[in-house]
Amino acid sequence: MAGKIVSIHSFRGGTGKSNVTANLAAQVAMTGMRVGVVDTDIQSPGIHVLFGLDEQKMGKTLNDYLHGKAAIREVGFSVGENTGEGEGRAQLAGRNIFLFPSSIRGAEISQILQEGIDFNRLNEGLQTAVAEFDLDYLFIDTHPGLNEETLLSIATSDVLLIILRPDNQDLQGTAVTVDVARSLDVPNLFLLVNKALPKYNNFEVIKSDIGAKFDAAVTSVLPLSFDMAENASNDLFSLRFPDHEWSKALKSIVPFILNAK
Amino acid sequence: MPGLFDRLDKEIKEKQKEGGITPLDLAKLPPSLRKIMRLMLREMQMSYPRICEVMDAMPENDRLTRDELDSALSSLSEQFWLIRIGEKEKAIYKVNLRRKAGSALMAGIWSSLNEKLKKPSTDSK
Repeated sequence: MAGKIVSIHSFRGGTGKSNVTANLAAQVAMTGMRVGVVDTDIQSPGIHVLFGLDEQKMGKTLNDYLHGKAAIREVGFSVGENTGEGEGRAQLAGRNIFLFPSSIRGAEISQILQEGIDFNRLNEGLQTAVAEFDLDYLFIDTHPGLNEETLLSIATSDVLLIILRPDNQDLQGTAVTVDVARSLDVPNLFLLVNKALPKYNNFEVIKSDIGAKFDAAVTSVLPLSFDMAENASNDLFSLRFPDHEWSKALKSIVPFILNAK
Repeated sequence: MPGLFDRLDKEIKEKQKEGGITPLDLAKLPPSLRKIMRLMLREMQMSYPRICEVMDAMPENDRLTRDELDSALSSLSEQFWLIRIGEKEKAIYKVNLRRKAGSALMAGIWSSLNEKLKKPSTDSK
């Protein structure tokens, strides 16, 4: 089986995209799959924090690869061999999960903004990462909104998971993203509602309403959680608190990914 | 002395500089060509016989005749949306993505920002 590319996207910022991506990738890795996570949010990278990386620990980055200073195999950081502190992350010990981080050094971010991005090289990097790390799934954490690198990742994806909040601004923006994804023939288009207010207790209604509005499968509705906020991206929440409502709802997305054609 | 691979690699890099397709251009292509381009992005390059094989496997309504396919490949290559190495049956095609342009902010702003970012911060002390 050729590895599948799974893009995680949201039209607006603050939807919890990086947290969902990291937790979902970790849950898929826990099923025994070989998983990669690439941070293409080059302008505002953040997912490395959830995997316990900081500027000191970070080795080669996607920026080094894009500038021809490193091969993509040098960028892949084995999370399974370097789980670091964090009860949740510790469960990934020995699992095959690799992070391809973007640089958090200000000078390197500004260099990318100034010089632009060679998309031929970026695409080659993604495909080579799948091949060289023998990945079953490569998760792409994208920059919010519809920019060129996001469109490229959508165009090469087998699965696109669009995250939205039950909010009118998100709903309108998501409509645009869904249209673009359909025009690019993404084979599997899924939605995920995050930060739903638990007091309404009507998640099934939210799921069916949003599913009908976009004519797409809603994989899950995740509650707005103060426990999750308190975690402050220090650890992988769904591994640390597996019985929490947020974690259970997140884990219900895994079959959608594993069964995608 | 450079080998065949080096020469082809150099030829591809030269052609890549000359333009390229954006994902939005991709969305406007006819369905069968878009499918081939998407596959080419994943496989990175495809031989002409492989493209014909994929086209032949498509639903009849979407399928292009050989003449239509040859004409489309030729047109895409002329626009540098595809890079063609070799001719006819032996041709290999590769998608050429347009580079994302850098910010149009004045260069002086970036060099000033870079200098600031290189210096250790003293403001927070």
